[in-house]
Amino acid sequence: MADNLPSEFDVVVIGTGLPESIIAAACARSGQRVLHVDSKNYYGGNWASFSFSGLLSWIKENQQNTDISDECEDWRKLILENEEVISLSKKDKTIQHVEDFCFGDQDSAENVEEAGALLKLPAFGASDADRVAQESEKECTLVENTLAEVESQEPEKATGTEPASTVEGNDPEITSESESSHDAALGESTPETGSAPSESSAQGPKKITYAQIVREGRRFNIDLVSKLLYSRGLLIDLLIKSNVSRYAEFKNATRILAFQEGKVEQVPCSRADVFNSRQLTMVEKRMLMKFLTFCLDYEQHPEEYQDYENSTFAQFLRTRKLTPSLQHFILHSIAMVSETDCSTLEGLQATKKFLQCLGRYGNTPFLFPLYGQGEIPQCFCRLCAVFGGIYCLRHSVQCLVVDKESERCKAIVDHFGQRISANYFIVEDSYLSENTCTNVCYRQISRAVLITDQSVLNTDAEQQVSILTVPPEDVGKPAVCIIELCSSTMTCMKETYLVHLTCPSTKTAREDLEPVVQKLFNLNEEKETENEELEKPRVLWAVYFNMRDSSGVEKKSYDGLPSNVYVCSGPDSALGNDCAVKQAETIFHEMFPAEEFCPPPPNPEDIIYDEDEIAPEESGFSNSPETKPESSTEESSSGDSTAVKKEDNEE
Amino acid sequence: MSMEDYDFLFKIVLIGNAGVGKTCLVRRFTQGLFPPGQGATIGVDFMIKTVEINGEKVKLQIWDTAGQERFRSITQSYYRSANALILTYDITCEESFRCLPEWLREIEQYASNKVITVLVGNKIDLADKREVSQQRAAEFSEAQDMYYLETSAKESDNVEKLFLDLACRLISEARQNTLENNVSSPLPGEGKSISYLTCCNFN
Repeated sequence: MADNLPSEFDVVVIGTGLPESIIAAACARSGQRVLHVDSKNYYGGNWASFSFSGLLSWIKENQQNTDISDECEDWRKLILENEEVISLSKKDKTIQHVEDFCFGDQDSAENVEEAGALLKLPAFGASDADRVAQESEKECTLVENTLAEVESQEPEKATGTEPASTVEGNDPEITSESESSHDAALGESTPETGSAPSESSAQGPKKITYAQIVREGRRFNIDLVSKLLYSRGLLIDLLIKSNVSRYAEFKNATRILAFQEGKVEQVPCSRADVFNSRQLTMVEKRMLMKFLTFCLDYEQHPEEYQDYENSTFAQFLRTRKLTPSLQHFILHSIAMVSETDCSTLEGLQATKKFLQCLGRYGNTPFLFPLYGQGEIPQCFCRLCAVFGGIYCLRHSVQCLVVDKESERCKAIVDHFGQRISANYFIVEDSYLSENTCTNVCYRQISRAVLITDQSVLNTDAEQQVSILTVPPEDVGKPAVCIIELCSSTMTCMKETYLVHLTCPSTKTAREDLEPVVQKLFNLNEEKETENEELEKPRVLWAVYFNMRDSSGVEKKSYDGLPSNVYVCSGPDSALGNDCAVKQAETIFHEMFPAEEFCPPPPNPEDIIYDEDEIAPEESGFSNSPETKPESSTEESSSGDSTAVKKEDNEE
Repeated sequence: MSMEDYDFLFKIVLIGNAGVGKTCLVRRFTQGLFPPGQGATIGVDFMIKTVEINGEKVKLQIWDTAGQERFRSITQSYYRSANALILTYDITCEESFRCLPEWLREIEQYASNKVITVLVGNKIDLADKREVSQQRAAEFSEAQDMYYLETSAKESDNVEKLFLDLACRLISEARQNTLENNVSSPLPGEGKSISYLTCCNFN
């Protein structure tokens, strides 16, 4: 755009991950002039979520090892004699070992376009990396009704070339009348004409094809990090306090699951769950209730645990009157701690945290944001923008400019060669060059994302958000945290589940996680499989990757950073978001010790402009450009209009 | 929320290039002001106006871009759960019209299927500087299945009509949805806002 960027700010924030976005919001909120940039064309960095095609291009990008050649260094002439530069990294190197697998017939998807792509229009911004699907500009048959959605309520609009409609519409009139090979694959699902279209896992899952996944690609919002919000965690508190919560919607995690002896089962954790549980005996119910009640105020009963303060939590649990199965539930699914490393006190603390979070919003301690975790950084960016912050995606920064004498950073030079000065600079770890990070020792996170055709634990209620901790097979290895999302979280298409696996890395992501995937899922394609395999959810598509975990790196480990440059870390491997919130608050207070961190903004609902009885024409819109506003603007002057009314703040 | 006095609540979102008059349209409609006074938008997230249509109270929550459109950096979350989109261009600025497909692509990508989109050509008070003819805009809107209207936030031309017609549309749409009781996909707003989720403690 022709618009020029101002060249002076108070705070420049580089990277749009969660901590950076919170800091940007807090700064703008307290009156600072904020510039917030990201070199990517999407928000969130490693906290982002992608549509299916978006994720495919992300994978491609991270599998290619294109080193960006040194471009012209014209900007060097902007550097004065008494200044030096800290170059920033030109390529994000935080993602490694990306391996993706398609378990369906991939060829059938060759001619498939993502539904909703506006193909009638001339292609704009062709460089747009997150739309690979559009590149396959074959003789796209199905594109006639680009605007009529696949999920359109009018089945007649969904022509036979749209396999998705056979699943959704369940309209017997729809017949696949066209050529391409994917239609053949779909034939299997057409006979399904039952009354309940989607919610019918009991009748056996329908086969979703890769073609359908591609076509329904924008139904997916696939997070690079997999996290949940503890309902009494720091992030929820901050969302509520800052009113950023109004930009997002949430769903409760509905179940806590455990994996014992090769079986997935539900963990009863609330009082109601315990009483209603069919898998626990009466004795077990009493034991569990007694123990959980104790954990809620364990500090009041030191005599119960003080002898075990030097033992592990697992050892402590063995001394309580608990069956092995209950011990497993508590250790792995409630406290979610390591069997070998976690002390009694840490375990009690974790159990208490879990219990305290129960019931605030529902039956489990967790919330998940609709459309994925990737929404959350964006919500903070919106707050920043509302308070005047300026946003530029696709905007790289060449270097930081440091004043030799004061040793403070005074400006950045961006990719256009514009010099932008500020007092404070926030940089996300991945933007720092290897020179800056030579002494930094990073951990890694192993991640896998699967698209599956049914839940790991089928029940009557179909739409479940589940969390499952799979304890390590070998002692000392980390447990694997699994979050399974249903389509009503708006992160995957109907009839599918999105499964996220996360653990701290010991090897490559695939080596770390594939054993767990094999235990829980059916990876075989079309072949006839054992009965046992058939019961498992089928994996339709999978990706593994390692992500750098830059949390917990101390600032002094970075070489030569001026004191007014602050580093934000990428996502950590923990389930919650406390780390990011803490980091943001700490950095904000280092910069502005006297300022409040994200106080509530004025509520726009406080002022309501009330106008009485306006009677517009019934007709609604006319497509004619000649429409004149005849009667519509008439306001019957019945009494005092424009009453400014104060409303109670709902908080 | 439950205490509030309205029959319908709709979220309307404005998009379009910088400088086409989005904020002016909102201000004109909600406050009757023009020009809105620059800088006044700081800290204002969305504007509310409650109107009465055929005896029903309709609360319109109108969201502005907060300037993120300036460098093409609108967050996806901005589009979520919008009931209607007002796609605005400036009739005196060809460029703002040429960018419309790009905006439509964003809508396709991030907004709900069920969103109603209105194309608005603003600044008809500057008729002598017109660069985009009504016919082109009308053809474009027809091809894209959008409603189309030209307005002047300055002269208050068609501004009321824009929002009130939209409100009518939204009401009839909402009625139809309830009638059909369509559960095929979660509607915007189905998720819970965390301040309102219910409580039931462990103890």
